[in-house]
Amino acid sequence: MKPKARRRLRNVLDEADASLLDLVDHVLNKGVVIEGEVLLGLANVDLVYLRLAAVLCAADRLERTNESRRRRARS
Amino acid sequence: MSRLYLYALLGGPPSGPLGAGLAGEPLRLVRCGDLLAVAGDVPKAPSIDAASLRAHDATVRRLAEMVEAVLPIRFCTLVDDESALAGLLEPQRAGLGEALALVAGREQMTLRLYGEGLHDDAPLPDAEPSLPGPGARYLAARRRERRRAHGSREMAALRRGLGALIVDERVERHDMPPLLASLYHLIERGASARYLSALETIAGELGAVRARATGPWPPYAFAPGAIP
Repeated sequence: MKPKARRRLRNVLDEADASLLDLVDHVLNKGVVIEGEVLLGLANVDLVYLRLAAVLCAADRLERTNESRRRRARS
Repeated sequence: MSRLYLYALLGGPPSGPLGAGLAGEPLRLVRCGDLLAVAGDVPKAPSIDAASLRAHDATVRRLAEMVEAVLPIRFCTLVDDESALAGLLEPQRAGLGEALALVAGREQMTLRLYGEGLHDDAPLPDAEPSLPGPGARYLAARRRERRRAHGSREMAALRRGLGALIVDERVERHDMPPLLASLYHLIERGASARYLSALETIAGELGAVRARATGPWPPYAFAPGAIP
């Protein structure tokens, strides 16, 4: 993947809210694949997915932290 | 020269105006045999950023409201012109027709399973070295992978609890704790509230595994080629 493409991708993933990550998974990684014509040749999809899975893990930790904060606030 | 940016395939003509796409370009229908594609003429590829991803999804969702069956096309798919599109769709026509029939009147829920690990149903047999050729070994490996992907105590509990609502399922095992698996469930349109409340009921049966659902989504994971 070209450095510029990698930077742009990182910008997408850095805004790591869970709904955006879900969106990345669905819109970027799924859908009808028309062989050879997906422009994401620039962002090797396997690599996108690996990064995505890693960030989804982080999203889970983030959500749990928020949940426990909310619980503490209630008690 | 402008190119065609593709958004979705439709199962029939839309009930309203198609509106505009990512770049504000007017959308149009392109007929390829018995398939209907929604496309926009764009001067260049859209930038890969959150706004474009959201706009692509919003367009697909808007189309889904105007038609019974929609198959989203992967973000950033461009073709030179209508004849190039026809050439690419033609070999996939049968599979795409079946996929459109499957998603008609349906939508998708996505379930992520988080935790330390899933409990596999039974130990899997070792690879079968005695198989005669590479083809047979490949198929055996695929069968093992499929069994491993679908077979766990937690997934069985989910299927028991949600089963009546699930029309079809795609599963990806990640095994990158805490992210263990993504389950994509095809449900009837309008059933998402029942899906979420059924999920809440069975959450206690999942032990240490947490299940988080999002949706409803257009049926992204039920497009041919989406998940091997």
